[in-house]
Amino acid sequence: MPSNLAPAAPRQSISDDFELSIIQFCRFAYRNGLDSSVRSTIDSVRAARIVEGESLRHALRTVLCRSKKEWDLFDPLFESFWYGRRLDKPERSVSRLFGSMGKDGEQRAYFFSGDHKSKESQPIVRERKAVAGATSIERLSKIDFSQLAGEDLAQLEQLSQRLLRRMSFRLSRRAQFVHSQSRIDLRRTIRAAAARGTELIELRYKGRRTQASRLVILLDVSDSMNPYSHFLFRFAYALGKHFDRLACFVFSTRLVDVTSALKTTTLPEALKALSAIETFWSGGTKIGSALREFNRGYGRQIRSTDATVFILSDGWDTDAPETLVTELTILKQRAKKLVWLNPLLGLDQYEPVTRGMSAALPLVDVFAPAHNLQSLLDLERHLRTD
Amino acid sequence: MPSPTAGAENPELREIGEFINGFGRLGYVADVGLATAVYLLVRLPKPLLIEGHAGVGKTEVAKVLASYLGTELIRLQCYEGLDAQSALYEWNYQKQLLAIKARERSDKPAEELERHIFGNDFLLKRPLLRSILCESAPVLLIDEIDRADEAFEAFLLEILSEFQVTIPELGTIQAKQIPHVVLTSNSTRELSDALKRRCLYHWIDYPSLQKEIEIVRARLPEFDYDLSSEVVRFVQLIRQMNLSKPPGVAETLDLSRASMLLRMKQFDSATAEQMLGCVLKSASDLARIRQEGIEKLVSRISQ
Repeated sequence: MPSNLAPAAPRQSISDDFELSIIQFCRFAYRNGLDSSVRSTIDSVRAARIVEGESLRHALRTVLCRSKKEWDLFDPLFESFWYGRRLDKPERSVSRLFGSMGKDGEQRAYFFSGDHKSKESQPIVRERKAVAGATSIERLSKIDFSQLAGEDLAQLEQLSQRLLRRMSFRLSRRAQFVHSQSRIDLRRTIRAAAARGTELIELRYKGRRTQASRLVILLDVSDSMNPYSHFLFRFAYALGKHFDRLACFVFSTRLVDVTSALKTTTLPEALKALSAIETFWSGGTKIGSALREFNRGYGRQIRSTDATVFILSDGWDTDAPETLVTELTILKQRAKKLVWLNPLLGLDQYEPVTRGMSAALPLVDVFAPAHNLQSLLDLERHLRTD
Repeated sequence: MPSPTAGAENPELREIGEFINGFGRLGYVADVGLATAVYLLVRLPKPLLIEGHAGVGKTEVAKVLASYLGTELIRLQCYEGLDAQSALYEWNYQKQLLAIKARERSDKPAEELERHIFGNDFLLKRPLLRSILCESAPVLLIDEIDRADEAFEAFLLEILSEFQVTIPELGTIQAKQIPHVVLTSNSTRELSDALKRRCLYHWIDYPSLQKEIEIVRARLPEFDYDLSSEVVRFVQLIRQMNLSKPPGVAETLDLSRASMLLRMKQFDSATAEQMLGCVLKSASDLARIRQEGIEKLVSRISQ
């Protein structure tokens, strides 16, 4: 048994100098990617007072880190601060990534931040106030995203926001009115009876709280999807308003978690957050690899088979089709429903004959188009909680 | 800049060593990192969040800590849909109803009855409340917190930072002794920042070859010396193979126990094949290993 387990009393023997360098280290760690706070700095100093030697490294690591990612970052930081080792800068700057991509990358950054509308088209939109009549709603909701011209784009954007919001509202109303009268809820029964004396007149029941099903969206943002991914992200955002348990990922050759971007309060903020997230833009698509990354890293999130998984991609894959099939099989085992949305399905002559797509087709529960607003709205029936 | 080793002779350093030794006596091989984390958990005192792959001994830390400190272990297993009623407290409604019926004809005032049925006798204490009411600080294990939903995580915040709970009928209850809280997570989902901010953090990785052999020997001292290192090598090889469910230390121990039961003399491919189920828990992984060839794996062990 250890002799003394009382909370540690501050020791006076530690010099102010030492404490100062602990604080400096915390700030250094914060600047280099650890998500520390004042509280963790205070804890670091408290911890440093009661350990020494090699334990200091472990103690600071335990106090300052909050995830495996930070855990792995820590040792180089510690070495570099205390022993002056050179730090390999982590590749975190978005500007660098986009910078190296040249013009193309920059364009995409704008694209997602919502500023992609060309400057000329904007004033026109303002004058019109975008009052879309019934016929134009009809027309707009059926127009292929890739065929949109400047004015239509702005109008469709407004329309899609309105309709998608309405859809998500409808979905959330529906989920609320489910009652099952199976078990008596004694807690509520007694509470209700207390109002009228002690007689239990009315019984209260409890049923399972119906929970909105989990929704996972995997959005392809590779070159070939360029005309569509903008609207599909809006679609994802609208769904995020209804599904609390929504996870969204974008992928081209790699997979990036953008769930937190969807949780922001307004759409422009979400688009801004998305453009700030470090992504690995590149021409090619590796759907198989991206799915593998998903299955490895995040797949266990959806262990409970209550998830509907949406893959939004045109199926152009530079990976071997076998990879795609393997990973889709794993994914299918975990998901309640696997929905593949392919914008190209809206084209008249389209046949899903790309190697990846034809290999994937037998594994997919629903294969639907996602090329215009109407097709997105039609997805409502796949989203209902039942 | 002062070096991190600056400072006077430190008695607490010995204590960290004591944790390592004490854990070792109880059959848990702890490294300095883990011992430091546990030491800080006890001394700061702050909850410790332990993450790591399945089967690396996260839950075990809490169990061993409890027996090392000689205190009670209170365990709360998290699951989806876990709510305050089953984690904190619940009134014993059946008993309350009986009490109300029994006193129906007495002319005692209603207030008294209310005080009576919302008293301690009618309170069912669930793990969190129990840990707070303990006379001596218990070890509170909140296991697999990532399985609970976000709402429950938020509910935990009050307990983890203030060590107090609020029951509307009774008021706020302050912990008599601050419990030693250990949370474990398989990192199947990201935990909220608010929760993480209130915790210390430790990541347990798969052990190195040497350490894993040590673990097997500590847990199963009667197991054959050479055989144990072969078993560990075998599991470590499998672990490197990028399977969907890589085996943890728990699986290594299972395999070791199985080889003891089967009175294995040496680790050959026939027996390895028999016991594969101890290590691999999914059909696709099994197929993968069989395709790779068990003989080949076993022959690589002896190299």
